[in-house]
This record gives sequence, C-alpha cells and structure tokens, in this order.
Amino acid sequence: MTVGTDALVAAHDLVVGFPLPGGGRREVLRGVDLSLARGELVALLGTNGSGKTTLLRTVAGTLAPDAGTVLFDGRSVRDWRRGALAQRVAVLPQQLELPLGFSVAELVAMGRAPHARRLFASSAADERAIARALLDADALDLADRPAEEISGGERQRLLVAMALAQEPDLLLLDEPTLHLDLAHQLGLLGAIRRLRDQRGLTVLAVLHDLNLAAAFAPRVAILDEGRIVADGPPSEVLSVDLVRRVFGVPVDEARTSDGRRHLALREV
Amino acid sequence: MLPRLRAPLHLLALGLALTACAPAASPSATPAETLPASAAAYPATLIDDAGRSVNLPGLPERIVSLAPSNTEIVCSLGACDRLVGVTDFDDYPAEVSDVAKVVIGAQVDVEKVVAADPQLILAAGNELTPSTVIARLSGLGYPVLVLYPESLDELYADIELVGRAIDASAEATDLVAGLRTRARAVSDAVASAQQPRTFYEVGVFEGTIYTAGADSFLASLISIAGGDPITGDPLSTSIQLEDLVAADPELILLGDAAYDPSITPASVAARAGWEGMTAVTEGRIVVVPDDPVITRPGPRIIDGLEALARAIHPELFS
Amino acid sequence: MRAAATTSPRYVTRPSLTRAGLVLGGGGVLLLVAMLAAVAVGSVGVGVGDTAAILGRRLLALPLPETWSPAAETIIFELRLPRVLTAMLVGGGLAMAGTVFQALLRNPMADPYIIGTAAGASLGAIIGILAPVLLPALALGAGTAWLGLGMVQAFAFAGGIATVLLVYAVARGNGRVPVVTLLLTGYAVSSVLAAGVALLMFMSGRALGAIFGWLMGSLAGATWPSLAFAAPLLATSFALLLLRWRRLNLILLGDEPAAHLGVEVEREKLVLTMLATLATSAAVAISGTIGFVGLVVPHLLRLATGPDHRLLLPAGLLYGAALLALADLGARLAGGIPVGIVTALLGAPFFIWLLRRSRDLSRAATS
Repeated sequence: MTVGTDALVAAHDLVVGFPLPGGGRREVLRGVDLSLARGELVALLGTNGSGKTTLLRTVAGTLAPDAGTVLFDGRSVRDWRRGALAQRVAVLPQQLELPLGFSVAELVAMGRAPHARRLFASSAADERAIARALLDADALDLADRPAEEISGGERQRLLVAMALAQEPDLLLLDEPTLHLDLAHQLGLLGAIRRLRDQRGLTVLAVLHDLNLAAAFAPRVAILDEGRIVADGPPSEVLSVDLVRRVFGVPVDEARTSDGRRHLALREV
Repeated sequence: MLPRLRAPLHLLALGLALTACAPAASPSATPAETLPASAAAYPATLIDDAGRSVNLPGLPERIVSLAPSNTEIVCSLGACDRLVGVTDFDDYPAEVSDVAKVVIGAQVDVEKVVAADPQLILAAGNELTPSTVIARLSGLGYPVLVLYPESLDELYADIELVGRAIDASAEATDLVAGLRTRARAVSDAVASAQQPRTFYEVGVFEGTIYTAGADSFLASLISIAGGDPITGDPLSTSIQLEDLVAADPELILLGDAAYDPSITPASVAARAGWEGMTAVTEGRIVVVPDDPVITRPGPRIIDGLEALARAIHPELFS
Repeated sequence: MRAAATTSPRYVTRPSLTRAGLVLGGGGVLLLVAMLAAVAVGSVGVGVGDTAAILGRRLLALPLPETWSPAAETIIFELRLPRVLTAMLVGGGLAMAGTVFQALLRNPMADPYIIGTAAGASLGAIIGILAPVLLPALALGAGTAWLGLGMVQAFAFAGGIATVLLVYAVARGNGRVPVVTLLLTGYAVSSVLAAGVALLMFMSGRALGAIFGWLMGSLAGATWPSLAFAAPLLATSFALLLLRWRRLNLILLGDEPAAHLGVEVEREKLVLTMLATLATSAAVAISGTIGFVGLVVPHLLRLATGPDHRLLLPAGLLYGAALLALADLGARLAGGIPVGIVTALLGAPFFIWLLRRSRDLSRAATS
C-alpha cells in the first residue's frame, strides 16, 4: 500500500453510511484507507454489499463520506470543481439507464463533455478522442447502431468507450466484465492493461472473479464489511485462508501453466 | 362597484346658471340638464360610469355600440343613422339589423371595431364589455364611454351623458322628461298599495337560483313598481333555497319564462321545497314576458317597469 | 480482439447536418409563412399589397405613398403585428420550457406548467382581475381599465415565479432535489392553489368570463407594451437555454452519471428550472395558460430530430412559434375564441396519436 505525496488518489479513513427506511443507519464503509499511485492498476474485490460501489462513488467525489477524506492529485475531491475533476476522472458505472434515441457514437461523444470547448460543435480533438475510445473499447462496429438495440455485452463496451472518451488520468470501473463472454472479458481487461502501460492510466477496477483479478491486476485490495482487510500483490493476498475467511467458500490451490496461483472451486 | 359621478359637476352648475327652461314641466328631484342645442360643445371632456375621463375631440358622426342597451339609447336620441357598429344581439329598433356587427357571440371583434373607424364607442360596464377590450380600444385612441346604470336616475344620467356626447342634448332632455313622467305615474299609482314580498326569478341553473341582487337595478325597479323585492347576493345574484323559503315570497314573477316555455306557474309550484311559500299556496305565480326589456338598461326599461307594476298590482292597472 | 484500422469514421456523433438543415430550415420557412399569413389574414380583410406596404412603411421606413386607410394601418400594425409576434414568442417559449422540463424531470408527460407555474400564475391573475372588483379602492378612476391590465400581468408573472420557488424550497432535502420529489411537490402545491382558484372563481360574479378567458389562454390582449415586457425575458431565457444543450443531454443519463461527466447537477437543475420558469411565467403573464404547446411540440419534434438537445431546442423554438401563430390565426377566424381552445382541440388528438405510437413502439421493442 503506497501512501505518499506521489499518490494520484488517496482515500483516508472513509466512513460512509446510509439511512434505513425504518430509521437507523447502515454503515457501509467503516474506515477505509486506499491509495493509488500514478499508473497503478488495482483490482477491488469483496463480498456483495461490502461497499465496493460505495467506495468507488466516494472516490469519484459524487458521494460525500460521513467522515474521512479523498484526495485527488493532492486536493480533496469535494473541493474540486465538477467539471475540472471530470477531465481527469472517469467512472464506468455498474448500470446506466441509456436515454432512447441516441446512437452508440453519440453516447460516446457525451463522454467528451468535460473537455468540450466549442459552443455548438465538437472539435477535431474531440472526434479523435471518440474514435480512439471506440477502438480501445472494441466498439467501433457498434458505433452507428441505436444504443437501445445492442446486447448486454455490447452495452458494456459502449460504457467503457464513454469512460475512455473522457481521456481520464484515473479510471474507476465498477464491474466492467459484467455481461461479457470470456473472450470479451479478457479482451477488455487486456485493453485496459495496455492503456495503463502505454498512457500511464491509473485504474481502480471492481471485479468479482478472483482469478480474473489475479491475472489482470498487479495489486488487489479486499473489502470486507466496510474495511480493507488485505491489500497487495495477488500472489500474497489471494490465499485459501483469505477466501474462506472473507467469502466463506472453501477453495483449493492450484497452479496455472505459467506458474501463477489459481484458486479452484470444488464441486457444487 | 365602480365609483362614478352621477353627472359632470361642472356641466350641472352650468345648467343651473342658464335660464333656458326644460321643455316638459315635470317636477323632478334634480334640475334638468339644459344646454343650448347649438352650443359649440367640442372638444368635450366627459366622465363615464367607470369614472374614466374621456375626451371627445369633435362631433361623433360614426358611433359604435357594444351593448344593445347603448344602441337603443343612441337610436332613441335620433342618431340611429350614425351607428356604424352594433352587436349581433341588437334587436331594437329594426333598422339596426343593417348595421355592421362588431360584437359576435358576446366577443368584441376589435379588428371590426377598428375597421368601422368609430369616433365614439359606447361600452357596457361591470365586465359586460371586458375591461381588457375597453383598455385596448382606448389605448388605440378611440373615445370609449362606459355605461353602467344601476338605477333609473343613473339611467337618466347616462341618456343625458350620451346626449351630450353626440350633440343631442335637447333630445336627451325630452326623452328623460318623458321617462320620468311615466315612472312617476307608476310610483304614484302604487303609492298606497300594500307591497307584497316579491321574488323575481331570473333563472334556475343546476340548482342555483338567480334573482335580483341586493341593491341592484332590478331590485329598485321592483320597489318602484310597488313590490318588496327579495334579493340575492350582490356579486353572484344567487340566493339559497332556504333563504328564499325563509323570506317567504307572496308573489313570484317568472322572468325566465320569457325564454323557456317549460317554466310555468305549475312547474314552479311543483318544485321540491317551494310548496310552503305563500306565493305557491295562494297561487300568485305570474309569468313576465317582458324580461328582455326589464333587464335591458335602455329607454324601454320604463316599458318594463310598467309591466312589472301590472304584474305586481294587477288590481290597479286595467 | 480485432484491430480495426480506420481513417475516416463511418459513424456520426451528432445529428447530421442534413437533418439539422432540413429540420431547422423547415422550421424557419414555416415560421416565416405563419407570420406572413397571420398578419395578412384576419376577420377584417386587408389587401396583401396594403399589408406589405404598411409593414414596409412602419418597419423599414420605406417612403411609400399612403394608399391605405388609417383603420387598415391600425389593424395591421397595432392589432395584428404585436399579436403575431407575441404568439411566436409565447409558442417558442412554451415549447422550449416543455423540452427542458421533459429532460429535467425525465418524464415525457411533463409540460411547462408541471411544477406549479400555471397554478401560481392563475391565482395571481385572478387576484389581479378580482381586486378592482372586490376592493373599489383599487379601481382608481380613469385609470381603471389600464391599471387592471397591468395588474393582472404583473400578478400572474409574480405568482408563477413565486410558486416554483416555493415548490423548489419544499422539495429540497439535504441540499438535493430529487426529480420525483420535485414532481410530487409541484403536483401537491398546484392542487392547493387550484382549490384557491376555484374558490375565487365561485366568488367572482361578473368577472367569471374574464377569468375563464384568461385560464383558457388568449392572445387577444397582446399589445406592444406587453410585448416589451415579455420579449426581453423570453429572449434571454432562449439564449441561455440554447447554450445549455450539452448539460441537458448529460442530465438524461441520470444525476450521478451527469456528475461524473462534470455537471454540477444540483446547481444545473436549479438554473434550468429557473430559466424554463422565467420563460413560462413571462409567456403566461401576457397570454394566460395556453395548453398543449409545451407538451406536444417537443414530443413531435423528437421524432424528427432525435433526443439531442443541440437540435431539439432550436427546433422547438421555431416550430412552437410557428404553430402558435397559426393556431392564433385559426382562433381569430373561428370568432375570437381563446387560442387555448384551438391548441387543446388540435393538441389532444396529436397526443393520443403519440401515445398510441409510443405504445406500439415499446410493444415491438419488448416482443
């Protein structure tokens, strides 16, 4: 865990709770510390309801914590102007209700909004960024399709393209592999990894597949009951013990052909 | 109720100062207006019933009337040929049927009024001509006189006001004198008669009963005609059935029977809740076919007054 | 994963220039035709040549010989021209406000009056109409009629704006105004004010006709002074709303996604609400509560332009203006009935058609 002045984003001691309908409060995050340095690629894992999405929203600055701070580039996200922050931070949400009538490309173009300079048109730089985002997200073949007609997996690629069109420094992904078949899952994560390698993109991705996370990210953080209980390289963090402790599931340890640890499920 | 002056005070003073006699020797409470007919009366500034100060630059040769009562006043002053615009509701006298209609279905067509190029517009008060229309027309520069008499004296004043406006003051004086005489004849005739509690039915719609409002023109006519009017709310002119029953009319006059043949003394007597009224038990329910004249505040209202007197006191008029 | 080499994109990221040109060009032409027809035609016939000459003389200061009557000039320049211009501004304003509210509230049934403007303006207008009747002290002699007109407009305007501010304040919780809360609060406040309106109507006596005419919406009272009052307000809100097309598009994605894309959501919702309310209140103040324009025009246009506000907003302005000018022409020719009756008669069947169409579309989509 790197905490220091070169951290691009640093969450410190976050406490977030939500009021319950019948009264009372549900504590979701109970003191979370998490930092990412520039160019770091981190997978966030945890059980359902452990607060992964809440953590992402708080880091993005759209959810105000009850206590604790999130610093982006040295400044609290609550102090950043929304427009300025959106030029640097992009979020891929778990679900997005797409308004009817827009094509895929038009929606991706909305991702350029934080950078838009012209009053009524988009600039050549915008068009280039849109093209690049569609390419990187493998969504070029979808570009002129009406957004309401595409499949779940294609939708996911659209959402990724929208986030990439923002040309962010920090990419926050909430379950980016949902609805994607295996090939597309690997393709997407591979593309993101390449973007990190080539352009220094910092990535925090919420994933649910432990093995996929291990294959994708050099660092994983485990969120359990509102706290980070483990944070480090997957080879150290993802152990049989941890899986049983956090997820309550017995697994066996195996080795992949390239020597990495693989957590194998037993028969259901 | 809009504040208004009964007569321009300065002209009243002038009339008092002049020695010309009123043509008809009828005793009246206020001295008759007299002006030499050939007096250069223009430009004139008149105050109308809405309290508005209206400037007339010259003799109006082209007159538009926005209410049937105003049309009748103009025609009774002998200026019917000067009318260039009337309403589609005008029905008297017969010659106005040839005049262009500028009010259709109670909607004032401002374009048609403008096209008629009037030099004087006679409107009706109390929103009968909408105040927005009055504002529009006067805003365009036309002299608009708003008339809204609520009593016989106010009607006489309005006739004289119009007379002054169109240089027919002598005719106005004559007309008013004649009307006063007839009205006096009616009030003299009923002076010693007992005044029955009189309910004048204007209409019954969806269970709401409409009658003469308190202190209204109609109520004053009933009084002069020798009745004790039962009145309703001054704003809505409606009366609750229980209030009517409590007032217990001795005489019911059916003004709405003039428009609806289904309204008869028998049908009224059969109404639920009405059976206890003295007028019903004694069978004193009278159809009044003259409602159109009774409710039109023009010169023929005296015809209506006489009709009311005959209905209230048939025994005094053969 | 495929590597796709692209030199020029085969897709478009905005409504095509052709479509924009057709829609906006068509709107401009329709507006011009509507304006000319509405000025040239009325219950009194004024020849086309005379009409053009009058306009040329008064608007362009052309030195034309005066071959027309003063009455004709009054009709064209004092009666019809301000009325047509008012119809255009009001129609455009209501259509734009309806577009904004439909996006803001994510509700295709939204019209400009939905969060209380109509109820508040109606109550204000009725108080303005009744005040001189019930309190003679307010009917100040010769100025009564004029003062009455000014008062009704001012009270209507104030009532509309004040009501929306009230609704906004009541709906606000934790510094946020959730869309559903705004809708429901608007409905509740409107209901209360509508009860007040009904009570005053019951007590109104002779003024009932004037009140009813106002509620139906009418352009009969359009004058140059009332235009001078409303035009700057409407023009300002048009300009500021047209510039905010991007933010309106983003708000369609949802509050949080819009925030992630850089929109200060709560502030933007307030700004958009107030701009749309300013336009609506100014329109209602001078023409009463004209219905259906703000609801149907955005719906119809979306079929042609798509949901992108870059095109939808200016299209709404042009077509809303043209349609209301034409509807008012129809109202005048039909005997001076309130234009709100015409828009209702035309708007309701269109609306039913729209509903059936969207129902069929959604049925096709889910089958």
